[in-house]
Amino acid sequence: MMAAAANFQLNVEESRAWGSRSIECFEKLEQIGEGTYGQVYMARDKKTGEIVALKKIRMDNEKEGFPITAIREIKILKKLQHENVITLKEIVTSHDSNKYKGNIYMVFEYMDHDLTGLADRPGLRFTIPQIKCYMKQLLTGLHYCHVNQVLHRDIKGSNLLIDNEGNLKLADFGLARSFSSDHNANLTNRVITLWYRPPELLLGATKYGPAVDMWSVGCIFAELLYGKPILPGKNEPEQLNKIFELCGTPDELTWPGVSKIPWYNKFKPVRQMKKRIRELFRHFDRHALDLLEKMLVLDPAQRISAKDALDAEYFWTDPLPCDPKSLPKYEASHEFQTKKKRQQQRQNEEMAKRQKLQHPQQHARLPPIQQTGQPHPPHWNGHPMNNSQPPLPSHHQYGKPPGGPSRYPPDGNTSGYYQDRGGYNNTGPYPTQGRGGQPYPGNSAPSNAPRGATSGYGAPPNYSQGPYGPSGSRSQNSSGGNRNQQYGWQQ
Amino acid sequence: MAANFWTSSHYKQLLDTEEVDVVHPLDKERGMTLEDFKLIKLHMANYIARLAQNVKVRQRVVATAITYMRRVYVRRSMTEYDPRLVAPTCLYLASKAEESTVQARLLVFYIKKLYSDEKYRFEIKEILEMEMKILEALNYYLVVFHPYRALSQLLQDAGMNDATQPTWGLVNDTYKMDLILIHPPHLIALACIYIASVQKDKENTAWFEELRVDMNVVKNIAMEILDFYDSHKLITDDRVNAAMNKLAR
Repeated sequence: MMAAAANFQLNVEESRAWGSRSIECFEKLEQIGEGTYGQVYMARDKKTGEIVALKKIRMDNEKEGFPITAIREIKILKKLQHENVITLKEIVTSHDSNKYKGNIYMVFEYMDHDLTGLADRPGLRFTIPQIKCYMKQLLTGLHYCHVNQVLHRDIKGSNLLIDNEGNLKLADFGLARSFSSDHNANLTNRVITLWYRPPELLLGATKYGPAVDMWSVGCIFAELLYGKPILPGKNEPEQLNKIFELCGTPDELTWPGVSKIPWYNKFKPVRQMKKRIRELFRHFDRHALDLLEKMLVLDPAQRISAKDALDAEYFWTDPLPCDPKSLPKYEASHEFQTKKKRQQQRQNEEMAKRQKLQHPQQHARLPPIQQTGQPHPPHWNGHPMNNSQPPLPSHHQYGKPPGGPSRYPPDGNTSGYYQDRGGYNNTGPYPTQGRGGQPYPGNSAPSNAPRGATSGYGAPPNYSQGPYGPSGSRSQNSSGGNRNQQYGWQQ
Repeated sequence: MAANFWTSSHYKQLLDTEEVDVVHPLDKERGMTLEDFKLIKLHMANYIARLAQNVKVRQRVVATAITYMRRVYVRRSMTEYDPRLVAPTCLYLASKAEESTVQARLLVFYIKKLYSDEKYRFEIKEILEMEMKILEALNYYLVVFHPYRALSQLLQDAGMNDATQPTWGLVNDTYKMDLILIHPPHLIALACIYIASVQKDKENTAWFEELRVDMNVVKNIAMEILDFYDSHKLITDDRVNAAMNKLAR
């Protein structure tokens, strides 16, 4: 952020009018996202060559001028300066010649990936230290927000951006709000993407606090370990039902005050259900389960805070969270432009998969890069953990198709990131724990999968098509993937 | 790295008096003096406060709106940015930024009610267009720190809770000047406490010394406030009108 501050200083000196810079200062490279808010572009600062992300502010309600949601986002982002929160570098405008009605863009530091895109990457599996590393950063960033009295209100994988240094940053504060610690203000409950929305909001609470974000964190945490979203409700009643099936039904004993929440009587569970977190996720390690259980507490007052979660045993027992810098560098996840290429690649991967299934023993290690002749080398040119690779030029992949094998010298793989996976035969979507842990249930061993029967927990994860399942997408709604469905939450 | 005043854009943008007291060349051409410039800003600060009373928003919104208005005129001319439009628009923008949104049409309604003068009449569309211009002039820096929070904490610390009313009023009056653009808010709060202490003959030199702030700065701010009160007595409607008449339209 100091850099951003310096930029502003430069602006002051350079433009005597002291206004914001024009969009002309940037060269749009490609569209990298299409959210509810509008388009996101990757762009290059013409002067410095720096790669940035431009987010267009949608001016939809002309009756009330500059949207208050954008004002909130700008205020909040200018207030928050933390390594795990995305940096708003500046705001630029484009002017229409005839009238004062141009477009406004927020300029962000560019991030290569988002957590959903990365997790959905064909064949990619996070290691336990990696999951701990991401979770720790997520909680650190969120704790910072909460200490500064900001609720994010849209925590989900696609809003957690990850750069090639392994840093995770909270992004998209379009629904965020400042809150006062007394929780006295009435806030809208139409926030947070459905699958990550806590029970109190689904029950219509309008007074709430940081605990809403912690529920979302719990959902993400479980998703990382489980391999797919754990509560994929289609609508609000179903969402609530899924929550009750997992966490049990609430009553005044377990959740004092629950019966006074506006829609409790409307959504009151018909029959009692008991908590099944431990049963359904029994293959998680003990500390993970302990922490998850504290996050997915129905009563927001009893739900663990970000601060306390950071103190959980989980982060302080072996394997410890790894250093972000030791994480592998992945090819950029932005799919908008490369969608077609990727579809092609997917087909090839499907073929490769079939071959692999026929000869599983061939791949006790990672398939070498040379096997794929596609313009986009798949993910597995992983970097070794010892970080001996030259740093990836941060914007090298945008101007031209990513380079071939030379970008990721394969030689380091022996000591690499994938080594602790315990061999390629454990085709579970998630890594074995390196220390004798059980492999997570996956496509090759559906019988190991937890049986949740009716609730759908028993179904094998997303990766039912194998490690080369459909590649996820960034914020645009891919027709195939169900992960990024946008729900019609309004402010 | 907490989101506090010292890391804020507000702190980074504090200006020197010499930078604030500059009449824009375009305004100079119209014969506007520094005195006129200050008078118009004072008049507009009062306008914002009156309008805010009608639309019923908190003092914090008023303070933010006036700060926006004063920041705009550090960079923009009154010739191009008519204060009679800028002032209500700043209130409009501040009401959003401070989470007390006021509808534009309500604002337009009360403007009409308050001023029969045609020169103050604006349509909703004009306010919305000016909003964009103001956002740009502010470079989207919308966070403003005010002395109020520091004031109540400091008063409590000094054991002067009984002085809340007068000091709060003093702080309100500081927005009739450019102090908020020049000094950190807690020093403005301290200056107001200092004035109140002197007036009440309360001996708290020791308390001030323990604060480890530059008392010279505090005393200088206090002097500025007292000077302002002195000169304020001499302000007449005629003087304000004469200054306003130098504006276009």
